[in-house]
Amino acid sequence: MIGDIITIINDYWLLLLIGQYPNGPLGGLANTLILSALSIALAFPVSILFALARLSKWPLLRWPVTVLVYVTRGVPLLMLILWSYFLVPLLTGADVPSFVTMLTTLVIYQGAFLSEVVRAGIVALGEGQMDAARALGHSYLSAMRFIILPQALYNMIPSMISTFVATIKDTTLGYVINVPDLTFAASQVNNQLLTQPFQVFLILAVVYYAICWSLTYLANAVERRISRRRAGPANDPASPSLAQAKIVSEQL
Amino acid sequence: MTTSASSPQQQAIRISNVCKSYGNYPVLKGIEAEVIRGEVVVICGPSGSGKSTLIRTVNRLEEINSGAITFDGQNIHAPMRTKELNLLRSRIGFVFQNFNLFPHLSVVENVSISPIRVKGVAPGVARDKALKLLDRVGLADKAGAYPGQLSGGQQQRVAIARALAMEPPVMLFDEPTSALDPEMVGEVLAVMKGLAAEGMTMLCVTHEMGFAREVADRVWFIDAGEILETAPPEEFFKHPRHPRAQRFLADLRH
Ligand SMILES: Nc1ncnc2c1ncn2[C@@H]1O[C@H](COP(=O)(O)OP(=O)(O)OP(=O)(O)O)[C@@H](O)[C@H]1O
Ligand SMILES: [Mg+2]
Repeated sequence: MIGDIITIINDYWLLLLIGQYPNGPLGGLANTLILSALSIALAFPVSILFALARLSKWPLLRWPVTVLVYVTRGVPLLMLILWSYFLVPLLTGADVPSFVTMLTTLVIYQGAFLSEVVRAGIVALGEGQMDAARALGHSYLSAMRFIILPQALYNMIPSMISTFVATIKDTTLGYVINVPDLTFAASQVNNQLLTQPFQVFLILAVVYYAICWSLTYLANAVERRISRRRAGPANDPASPSLAQAKIVSEQL
Repeated sequence: MTTSASSPQQQAIRISNVCKSYGNYPVLKGIEAEVIRGEVVVICGPSGSGKSTLIRTVNRLEEINSGAITFDGQNIHAPMRTKELNLLRSRIGFVFQNFNLFPHLSVVENVSISPIRVKGVAPGVARDKALKLLDRVGLADKAGAYPGQLSGGQQQRVAIARALAMEPPVMLFDEPTSALDPEMVGEVLAVMKGLAAEGMTMLCVTHEMGFAREVADRVWFIDAGEILETAPPEEFFKHPRHPRAQRFLADLRH
């Protein structure tokens, strides 16, 4: 059993790592990570735009995005993937690669989820911060950019990491539209071996688990750090105010 | 210093027939008042009488239903481009009851960010200026600290320095000391007295009688959305004319 697994890894590690590349499209774990990283990198700005639109006083901006967020959150991801896969080429007539379809769907989906986190983060700051910024003459956007968002987003870092973990898991659904990711590679291996599905999918599970667990661990560590900082660096003996004052005055 | 005697040149703020309601509930009922340049006005009145609402309409943090508030010869509640409004606002300092410092920025950044981002002052220049202001409020040694590391009184002094950094000709204070422990009230009032002595035009909601007596030129007594009495502090505290002012002062002394 363990011998089987080692043999499989020995024979197929390159396929599991990068798919058919360079003879075919990049796949495997590399593609899974690229897909996840790209979707989170794009979902992040999208989520901020969604959140700002949902907090906007203009109904024309607020309503469509609110509907989009509700629909996206109320529908299984697999459904969204199938829609984009079958509907987008039908509507646009373009032949979109499955990777792009998957990426777009993940960006909208995670963007909608994260936008709720961003929105909650902004609302949780209270009116006082915005009032103070406006009273000093900041425009709405300037207040958002320099005062509100830096605080809301900083508090959001743990949620961002959890979303990243969720995204990695979600990329497995790309399998149904033939996105060449790690799951796809594992199933190719399985198709070639035919007799060892348990061993193959155990390897798959262990790899996903290792990645997701380490990221979750990181998220928890970051969260602890942030709540420590929020409690006030005054309570943190490692950074007495004097030392900080010195650092800043040296910068001056 | 009576309402009718001042010319428009002497007026810093003129509030004309300002009405505001939340839904059907009127909060300001035709407020009529003015602040003369260099004058220190103290607003007092019972809780819920509309003091915060009134002072927040002066820089248009609250909208009004009718009336006008003139600052620098312009009605700040007139329809105008947001750029213009932001410019007007940047020339009216505002100090909040809860300080509202920006917790993610150090003290010196709190004071310098708005000159940099709103006025376009060069960062180095803004920082030097911020350090001078911090020195003036007695917090030069806290420049690199974060708001969470400061006491309430220190935070409020930073908030005053932050407002002053925009070089406003007028400062508004909404109960600047009522969120503070008693032992910290004095340090904030001392800064405010210093400002008054330098001739700053100030409109302060406060129940600090000592402060009012010492530095106010006039006291406005407001109740249920109306200014019932305006008088020099000596007169107001010794011989309040309006029965509700008499009751308010009696309650306050207990
Ligand atoms: N956003 C709001 N919506 C509805 N009613 C409000 C709102 N803000 C204030 N009010 C009401 O308006 C009235 C005046 O409030 P305001 O805060 O101006 O009073 P205040 O004189 O500052 O009182 P305090 O001394 O407690 O600060 C109160 O009755 C209050 O309940
Ligand atoms: Mg109030």
